[in-house]
Amino acid sequence: MQKFSFNRRLVIIIVCLIVSFALMTVSVTIRNKKSTPPLIQQFGNDIVGLVDRVVALPTNGLSSSVSSISELLNTYQENQQLKQQVSELAQTKVRDQTLAKENKQLKKELELNASLTDYTAVSAAVITRTPSSWQNQVVINKGAASGVEKNMPVMSGSGLIGRIAEVNKTNSKVELITDNNDSANRFAVQITTKSGATVNGVLSGYKSTTGQITMDNITTKAKLSKGDKVVTSGLGGVTPKGLYVGTVAKASGSDYGLATKLYITPATDLSSLNVVTVAVTKQ
Amino acid sequence: MYRLSKLRFGFPIGLFLLLLLDGSISQSFSVQLFHYPSAMVSHLVVLWLVCGAIFEADQGEAYPMPLASWAAVAGAVFDLYYTGIFGVYVFVFPVVIYVTRRLVLYIRPNFLSGLLIYFIDITIVEALGYLASRAIHLTTMSGSSFLVNTLGPTLAFNLAMFVILYFPIRWVYNWLK
Repeated sequence: MQKFSFNRRLVIIIVCLIVSFALMTVSVTIRNKKSTPPLIQQFGNDIVGLVDRVVALPTNGLSSSVSSISELLNTYQENQQLKQQVSELAQTKVRDQTLAKENKQLKKELELNASLTDYTAVSAAVITRTPSSWQNQVVINKGAASGVEKNMPVMSGSGLIGRIAEVNKTNSKVELITDNNDSANRFAVQITTKSGATVNGVLSGYKSTTGQITMDNITTKAKLSKGDKVVTSGLGGVTPKGLYVGTVAKASGSDYGLATKLYITPATDLSSLNVVTVAVTKQ
Repeated sequence: MYRLSKLRFGFPIGLFLLLLLDGSISQSFSVQLFHYPSAMVSHLVVLWLVCGAIFEADQGEAYPMPLASWAAVAGAVFDLYYTGIFGVYVFVFPVVIYVTRRLVLYIRPNFLSGLLIYFIDITIVEALGYLASRAIHLTTMSGSSFLVNTLGPTLAFNLAMFVILYFPIRWVYNWLK
């Protein structure tokens, strides 16, 4: 009798393991192949998201009031620096407006409707973050109803922070570029060097010890130097051209010495995200 | 009787509240908790479940609670809403309940032995979560760096939360009884 009950427990454990792996495989496949999760999952996520907004309101409010107090302490110094920057910025903005207008007219003349740089920005608030150490993932409060689609790039502050991993009706999940899984941070980017040459490549990972994005297998002869700006190249579909990623921190030989490996300092602080912008492109 | 008590509604409400609070804490204190390369993961929902199992053992035969099924529901919501990979925590949370129930048979639960039980439970949650993530290529973290960068800080954070929240949660359970 004792032996029988032991066997039964073993069978239950093995069945559970098999079912667990089957479910995981199915959901990973759906995540990779389909643009939206199954309807029932979407529905459930929408409801949980709705409840979570109520729960998250007081905690997020508390943390933002704490941070505003700490920000108050170095306001004076920051104000001085910002005043300087604002006067420069006004000039840049006017020039930018003129250029955008000119660009529009030229496009009209060429009968070019949508180019790689066109996108509309949808701003969203971060509701919650996945409590997990390897999935650097946040949930934002805009979904398919606002035109968000899977794989669209997401920005915060001045730079790129990740891409949409899953879309529900009223909320969606964003995989950050700090996530080191197989697909999270493969963005096509380009670097314009000081001499004017353009180097294309794909982001390859994230080095958590230094907080830098890596970019491997660059076989160019162009000289890359510290401080060169890295922007998305718009090649390969959904990501528009010209989203700021960061600056080159270090260029070194790759592990086998054949190609160059780049370390890129991200443009935004990726650990504290409150408001993000989804770059919605028309396809 | 569980069926006639306030716990029947209070337990699931507390469960989901703490489940959602885990995410909010991770978001609000992300600068402090996810300080690369180490990561502290908040598992308040496991604390609620383990305290439930300890409470159940304290009450003797009078209070059989449907802990395992609620643990599975909480795990399902965790999987769908937080990670997007279904089939990991939906099994891990009931395993935690099973292990805790076995342990309280041998160890009389109080504050200190509860701390020990919770230590084992958090280790199980993190280790199984890590193995599953390795299996489906969500992470390439090596075992040793998992121990140092994730398990260690996570245990420290959650045991601290246990020390702070054990008596309040016990008070809530007794009030709901």
